[in-house]
Amino acid sequence: MYRKIVTNLVKFVPKRDANVIMRPMSAKSVESKSIENWDLYASVLVERLPIVSKSFNAIEREFQEQLWRVEFENSLQSDHELKHQQDLIQSELIKKGKMEVDLDDSASKQTAQDLKDAYSEELKSFQFALRSTADDATNKTNSTNRCLEDTLYLVVEESLSKQAVKMLPQGPRLDGETMRQAAERVLREKCGTQLEVTFYGNAPCGFYKYKYPKEVRKSSVGAKVFFYRASLHGGNVDTAIAKKFEWLTRPALEEQLQKSEYSESIQKFLL
Amino acid sequence: MALRAAFSKLTLQSSVRQISSTSISRLQVTPILCAEPLKKKKKLDPQIIKQREDRRKKKLEKQIRRLEKNARQLKPIEELEIPLTLLDEKDKRTRKLLPLSDKDLETRALLTKKWAKYKHQQKVSDFQTIDRLLQSQNKALDELRKESEELYQEAIQQDMALLPVTIKGPVATPPIKNYVSPDGDYIHENKKWD
Repeated sequence: MYRKIVTNLVKFVPKRDANVIMRPMSAKSVESKSIENWDLYASVLVERLPIVSKSFNAIEREFQEQLWRVEFENSLQSDHELKHQQDLIQSELIKKGKMEVDLDDSASKQTAQDLKDAYSEELKSFQFALRSTADDATNKTNSTNRCLEDTLYLVVEESLSKQAVKMLPQGPRLDGETMRQAAERVLREKCGTQLEVTFYGNAPCGFYKYKYPKEVRKSSVGAKVFFYRASLHGGNVDTAIAKKFEWLTRPALEEQLQKSEYSESIQKFLL
Repeated sequence: MALRAAFSKLTLQSSVRQISSTSISRLQVTPILCAEPLKKKKKLDPQIIKQREDRRKKKLEKQIRRLEKNARQLKPIEELEIPLTLLDEKDKRTRKLLPLSDKDLETRALLTKKWAKYKHQQKVSDFQTIDRLLQSQNKALDELRKESEELYQEAIQQDMALLPVTIKGPVATPPIKNYVSPDGDYIHENKKWD
């Protein structure tokens, strides 16, 4: 259907604009070439995917409880529950004196309740890892071991025209490189080799362009930045190479980048 | 004398070739000592042979029959079979609960409806996100094509290194570092079905 719409669009466009419209994924080359010269930059969005599941919100919790109740109502009693009932009946009988207590037998016999207590004790003694870490408490933003529920994005601080700016790791493409290779190299150069990442495919996931100020323009008008998405498996940024870097959640990232065109073009491909 | 006579006969024969079909007239070269009496061929009773053949046939037929019989019979799936003890003790095991009041039923129905709406909204927002990501990617590819056709062609190539992929999903509590999980008992059970 998408294809149909695109071809229809091409049909209704007046002839003089026909070379502007391109059909995505077609193998035919485009004749029109931009006259202006642009520098090509590769940039990488490194994301650390969530480690623990999201906490329930109000409706999710409520519905979960209902599901549990329904499941309990539809279930049959287990062996353990039956044994517990029998134990209760027996103790009742003993209390009334209708049954004799077999001392040897009762000493070795474990009631269902005893077993249950033992199991709960064992569970209690096991220490689960906490869902919020020490880095959460100290708000150590250069650690990947925080905000386990959310996706974290890597930003590094760079000085652009004598101004420290926080941005995704970015660098120019060299001759003979594909954009993907450029992105991989840029990430290695800016963040060191300890970062273990997987790139998602050869195609860029986002785009941003900006023009250089008129006085510094030389051969090219501006820069076109192509963003690549990569996910983190382990390791962290080499502190010897990148002095200042942060792992931010989406709201924090938007706050850091503030209202700018750069921020807007990044938000288009954030999850 | 006899020898002479024989010789004379030979010479005669050399000039006048005698044609004979009997083997006696030919010269024997095989030493007679090499000869061996022929082995007597064991003759089996044709009835016994027939019996054997029949037996083999029957055996094969039996096997085929057994296979056919089993082909119709499916392998039992233990998890799907209700244990007999549960069937017997069903009355004993059903919970004696009070029937739900109308109010309870009502709240449950309402909550289910609310949940359906909530999930629907979630799905819609998911689709919107996917649309947004695709739009962003298409825009980037278009811009790349405007700059260089070669780079664009490189960018739309498939990345074969991505597959096979393993993803460990989000869990309830984060993994404990250096934790060695205690080993349980392994009961190896492989039943044979032929």
